[in-house]
Amino acid sequence: MVTGKIKVLNETGIHLRLANEIVSAASKFEATVMLEKEGLEVNAKSMLGVAMLGAEQGAELTLNIEGSDEQDALDTLTGLFETNFGREMI
Amino acid sequence: MDYEQIEKTEMIFDGIPASPGIAFGEAFVVNVEDLSVEDERIGVDLVEGEISRFEEALDETKEELKNLSQVLEEEIGKEHAKILDSHILILADEVMRKDTVDIISTEHVSAPCAFHRVIEKTLSAFDQIKDQYLKERSEDIRDVRRRVIRNLLGQKVDGLANLRKEAVVVGKNLTPSDTMGFKRKYVKAFVSDMGGSTSHAAIMARSHGIPAVVGADGFSSYAKPYDNIIVDGTTGQVVLNPAPETVKLYEVARERFRQLEAELLTLKDYPAVTLDGRKIELSGNIETVDELDDVISHGAKGIGLFRTEYFFMGRGTLPGEEEQYRFYRDVVKRIAPDPVIIRTLDIGGDKIANWVDGRPEENPFMGWRGIRFTLSRKDIFRTQLRAIYRAAAHGRVRIMFPMVSVVDEVRAALAICVEVKEGLHRERYQYGKDVEVGIMIETPSAVALADHMAKEVDFFSIGSNDLVQYTLAVDRGNSRIAYLYDELHPSIIRLIHETVQAAHKNNIWAGLCGEMTASVGVHGTLLLIGAGLDELSAPAFLIPEVKKIIRSVTYDETKTLLKKALRKSTSEEIRALIDKYLRDRRPELQEFAIKGSKQADPEERG
Repeated sequence: MVTGKIKVLNETGIHLRLANEIVSAASKFEATVMLEKEGLEVNAKSMLGVAMLGAEQGAELTLNIEGSDEQDALDTLTGLFETNFGREMI
Repeated sequence: MDYEQIEKTEMIFDGIPASPGIAFGEAFVVNVEDLSVEDERIGVDLVEGEISRFEEALDETKEELKNLSQVLEEEIGKEHAKILDSHILILADEVMRKDTVDIISTEHVSAPCAFHRVIEKTLSAFDQIKDQYLKERSEDIRDVRRRVIRNLLGQKVDGLANLRKEAVVVGKNLTPSDTMGFKRKYVKAFVSDMGGSTSHAAIMARSHGIPAVVGADGFSSYAKPYDNIIVDGTTGQVVLNPAPETVKLYEVARERFRQLEAELLTLKDYPAVTLDGRKIELSGNIETVDELDDVISHGAKGIGLFRTEYFFMGRGTLPGEEEQYRFYRDVVKRIAPDPVIIRTLDIGGDKIANWVDGRPEENPFMGWRGIRFTLSRKDIFRTQLRAIYRAAAHGRVRIMFPMVSVVDEVRAALAICVEVKEGLHRERYQYGKDVEVGIMIETPSAVALADHMAKEVDFFSIGSNDLVQYTLAVDRGNSRIAYLYDELHPSIIRLIHETVQAAHKNNIWAGLCGEMTASVGVHGTLLLIGAGLDELSAPAFLIPEVKKIIRSVTYDETKTLLKKALRKSTSEEIRALIDKYLRDRRPELQEFAIKGSKQADPEERG
């Protein structure tokens, strides 16, 4: 299992549309991808799961990934968060 | 059961008038809160069938949403149709699908029951979310759940796109997704339990000229499909199952309203001046740029209350200076050369925003709100004032501080204004140099000290709603004592009179921006003219009516009326006084008097 810390940069937090991008990205991997915020852990391959984190701008999340392509998944997802999913950063 | 045999009793509800006019029709109830789903066990042999039934319902719902999205796009544009994208995304959630299927196959329960449980689990997590905007997304999830379960139960989805006959649309909280796809010719009126005059349904109703009442607490749980309803969007009254006599009364009122409306709109381009030549600045109340057109088309000269809270709420972060500047500038430019009064943030009380250190207060209306809040969060205050002063370079701006109770607050706020202007000057920004600064008069202490306050500022604007609540010590949301809330109470009339006197003695002007012109109609407006107010600000739809009243009377006779009112000891005496005056002197204004009648006793309400 690999873990990584990420921060939400998007101004309006993880809203449904952004949640969808996270789910699409996570679903490309075989590994189980879990997102954690303040003790609440959800499946990153579920829209509802990601949305119910209620992650606002500045929230710090932990990625817990386990599976054959875990490192690849961690790099990809961390990269997406760091660049705010290609969105303008304010 | 034979419902027809049961005598339906008339019930009257008081809500917030959101769009004027009177409409009759049968109820079409949307958005009945989550369909109740009971724990329903099924035989093992039915599990397979139940799973495919569930998957079909998901597909069906997805189709439905796609079609609706298309209809919406054609009717009101692409931006609005996007609301549905997130609903489609929720439906596609693999984990949600799998969890539901698991529950069906391991616990042998029906699909609606399993699906309901899965969503319930998600929703309970939303209660913990602090960010207001993200939290409100739970409404999207509820919406999707309703659609899927309706499809599972084979019930038709009551989207308004399917409405094919005339009806009064009733809902708990009419959201964009509830009202979308509606056809103007079928919707006679809107009524919602929740919401204020700037909620989605209210804005849409006004832009389509459909009568609407919002905030009619509890109405949707009483109204059954096809019940008869009368909606009076001018007074905020909704009558469920009206008795024949009531129907007759409202038919007359509707006819009057139609005639009046036609007549009033002809006044649009005339000035608000009394028969003996006293000119009153008649302006409008707004919260968003969208409402500007409405205010202008109803003949307002300027904005008497531009609320800025709306812009700050329902978002995750504070708006920065640039963003605020652009927001204010758009309004200032559009209304120029007429003036706009921008009220600084009036947050707190009933309007706590998510980014405020929102410790719950025992008594928010007597708590950390208005100028008390902005003076303790000078960072927020300075940013807002900088944005307003910069916007003022594009037209005529006046700044107003809310919830002032002591003179020190005024002095402290004015000092910050000076500081802000100096800063802008140093940084070589364009900014407004002759911006008038005033305060809202909404606490009894501000009236008691009005002569001192007047020496500090350029104008007063009376906030009648709060002034009534604080003076009569009544929370109008409390139905046991709401009958005490009365703008025509002699104490209120006296305070308004004193405020204007103090202003004029110190050579500043005084206006009023509460709902007094709305809720007590001609009675209130006549006394306000007589008190010598220089400016009146009202919601767009009331502007023609207030103008008509101003143009139908002399300042002199309203002054006499006010003098007499100041000698009365009860509201009833004041009402009787004005009723007599209307009968004897201005019978044509009695048309507007319906609103002056005492509001229904809370005990009589539904």
